[in-house]
Amino acid sequence: MNEWPLYAQQRWAGKRVQRLEDPGMLTGATTYVTDVQLPRMLELAFARSPVPHARIVSVELDAARSIPGVRAVLGPADVAHVEPTVGFAQLDGALSTPRFALPAGRVRYVGEPVAAVIADDRYAAEDGADAVTVELDPLGDQAPIHDGIPEGRYFHQAAAHGPLDAAFARSARVVRRRLGIQRVVTSPLETCGIVADFDAASGELTCYLSTQMPHLARAELAEALGLPVSHIRVVCPAMGGAFGGKEAMLPEYLCAAVAAIKLGRPVRWVEDRGEALTAGAHGKETEAELEAALDADGRILAMRSRFVSDTGAYLVGIGAYVEFMVAAFTVTGLYDVGAYAYEVAGVVTHKAPLSPFRGVGMTTSQTLREVLIDDAARALGIDRMELRRRNLVADGPWRTVLGEDYEPGSWRTAFERALELIGYEAFLGRQAAARAQDRLLGVGVSPFVEAAGVGSAGGAGGLPGASHDNASVSIDLSGRITVALPTFSHGQGHRTTAAQLVADMFAVAPDDVRVIDGDTARTPFGLGTFGSRSGVFIAGTVSRAGRIVRDKLLRVAEVLLEAAREDLELVDGTVGVRGAPSRRIPLAAVAGAAHFAPHVRAELGDPTLTATAFFDPPRPTHSNGTIAAIVEVDPGTGGVAIERIVVVEDCGTMVNPMIVEGQIRGGVAQGVGLALLERYVYDETGQPQTTTLAEYLLPCATDLPPIEIDHLETPSENGTAGIKGMAEGPASATPAAVVCAVLDAIAPYGSAIEQLPLRPETIAAALATA
Amino acid sequence: MTTISIEVNGTVHELDVASRLLLADLLRDRLGLTGTKIGCAMGACGACTVLVDDAPVRACLMFAVQASGCSVRTVEDLVQDDGDLDPLQRALREHHGLQCGYCTPGMLMAIVPLLESGRPLEPDAVRQGIAGNLCRCTGYDTIVDAVVEASRA
Repeated sequence: MNEWPLYAQQRWAGKRVQRLEDPGMLTGATTYVTDVQLPRMLELAFARSPVPHARIVSVELDAARSIPGVRAVLGPADVAHVEPTVGFAQLDGALSTPRFALPAGRVRYVGEPVAAVIADDRYAAEDGADAVTVELDPLGDQAPIHDGIPEGRYFHQAAAHGPLDAAFARSARVVRRRLGIQRVVTSPLETCGIVADFDAASGELTCYLSTQMPHLARAELAEALGLPVSHIRVVCPAMGGAFGGKEAMLPEYLCAAVAAIKLGRPVRWVEDRGEALTAGAHGKETEAELEAALDADGRILAMRSRFVSDTGAYLVGIGAYVEFMVAAFTVTGLYDVGAYAYEVAGVVTHKAPLSPFRGVGMTTSQTLREVLIDDAARALGIDRMELRRRNLVADGPWRTVLGEDYEPGSWRTAFERALELIGYEAFLGRQAAARAQDRLLGVGVSPFVEAAGVGSAGGAGGLPGASHDNASVSIDLSGRITVALPTFSHGQGHRTTAAQLVADMFAVAPDDVRVIDGDTARTPFGLGTFGSRSGVFIAGTVSRAGRIVRDKLLRVAEVLLEAAREDLELVDGTVGVRGAPSRRIPLAAVAGAAHFAPHVRAELGDPTLTATAFFDPPRPTHSNGTIAAIVEVDPGTGGVAIERIVVVEDCGTMVNPMIVEGQIRGGVAQGVGLALLERYVYDETGQPQTTTLAEYLLPCATDLPPIEIDHLETPSENGTAGIKGMAEGPASATPAAVVCAVLDAIAPYGSAIEQLPLRPETIAAALATA
Repeated sequence: MTTISIEVNGTVHELDVASRLLLADLLRDRLGLTGTKIGCAMGACGACTVLVDDAPVRACLMFAVQASGCSVRTVEDLVQDDGDLDPLQRALREHHGLQCGYCTPGMLMAIVPLLESGRPLEPDAVRQGIAGNLCRCTGYDTIVDAVVEASRA
């Protein structure tokens, strides 16, 4: 049940508290990186490679230097002192692809930066970039992309768990499915950007940066630039979305930093949309295959999977591995599968580097598996939902065939609830009647589990890497509470969520709590915001730091009130004696006494009402849910209209249901985009074909139906105060619901489609050939 | 350079501008009104929507010189005289119709003309009305709810 052992009240947590972030955003006052204006600031623009693979013969910069307003031009030689980046997580046995701030020898994808032009304004900088001449000797796609990876494959792994061969041998039926998950682009409305500002007197480099992980970006900047970490400050004023695409240290950022240091003036680079689409944070592209061995009753005895991700030209951040590793580790999902084998590989190609993207790996595994289960049901002549029922694990704890321990969840309950809400049984009748009139209706159902809040011991998806955070809680002389977080809120409302938790710990209102994030100078170390980790880590760190501060506060109050600890209570911004309303002291007075009252200081020594606490969760949380969708396919055009989408979500105890629902809705929208609209296309020569938002289609308001949401609440055993991490489950489970619904709608014509997205022309072609 | 006269949020500015300067850059870089965001600079996303003589315009598709003699209204002008949020802004907040906030100013300026008639709006009409403004965070539902409510206030 709802358990808040650390809290003085339960007044704000659990409520639909309006966000503290909103007023600034609604009035235009909130500052994003692109809004940062510093005195004497210059603008940077890049000259980029027009070809996918070539040896650089020469880079001619003089013409650019003569453009009015241009202050400096940097070529590869000017940034040769910058250490190449290799990403911050390496798998054993993986080859690496050092990435230089500007490539010296050759270019490897269209859009790779080759020179940086710094000018008085962006217009002059772009004029300068146009005047850069790069002589290129095309290498074609036969030459290896990286000399150290002659075959193009930088990682390969295969493993088996359980009695695989025996399971396949005794199975009544084996079903197979191949599915290509397309290349997509993360596409936050705010693109990437930096303002680099170097102070020659102190030697400090301040980078206003659009990043999900300020502290890691700081360390990466330091390493690449050869500066001490102490001399770098990363500030993220506000960020207009990221979705996994703002984790890598970009060569563009390093060039801006070099320029700022060299020129002694602030330098701003803001990625434009063309750059973001051509050379920005792409995601997902994976070839996936799955086979399942079933007995005659439709029980899944074993699964065998294969995932090969197209990582593009460089392995950046953690993106290269998570796509295929997480896919392989999540394919069995909520099904009781006794034996499982996987094979994964990553290959480099002449495309933009792959980044993580919301639901990384999980989108691929979830979509592939649910489509295969529908295939199996059709092959065995069993109702698709009945086949799921026969294989879903029971509510409660579960150990997967890979040895991952799920904490208790409402796996089956959420599934049945979604069927009830979508009206599955009634729909089947409606579908049959519609088919008689040549109308193609379909339903798809996608039960999911989402591991989040992974600590150092978690090893999710077989990936290496520590994962821990700190948070600070302080009470100032005005009696107000300041919380400093190393995570970075960029749409998720962390400031509000943290304020709700802290307000209840200290019996104050959220407005009395100031939450600071996105600044390495004002927050303690932590890894940042990704992988639905922030809720778990914020609750864990803030509870621990808050408890220490509350303990100090009560020690001061014991002295001031001459009362025993057990008689003290926190009420409405005061500390008082239980049952004696006249004996209450405002927090400001307690803080004042802690700092200045001689007798308190004499008794307690350290007067500061502040603490920083560390949290590294031993086990991840597991939220779950089920998405159900009903679609209608136009038999003439192949167009898909989504009639309904139902989401049942269980993320344990909710701190702010409104924010949880916001994450669900946004995730569903991105899932619909992936299922039906979005695809990044290269032609056969490696030239990008979808370089504007007129060609790369993001879902707009008329592409989506209202999203119906229902909550279940199975409090976490692993997370603090029952909280489970969430925000990627709905994003990764929606494509499966939509794709299964479309394939169900066109099932009378076969379901031979093996590539996403399901664009009208794809569906129309499938209908025409059937 | 061309001299233009432009009224922005009630203040008239006489400015020398390069003929290729975009209205969006004039507002943001010259006048410091950074509430107007640039999301794509090609008229596809709607983040830079402002009102020019009361009509919604993509400030990334209009040159500053084209706006000479016009009256421009940006998100900074929506807040009430007493500093409180206006009813539309309040409705968006109450319905959680924004997350990262980057599309919000353009979304607001696209919605203002929809509410002008004073007639209650149906959800489908709101969806049509904001279909030219991309939001990557919310899935639009809560924006639609907020606008419907604001239209009935």
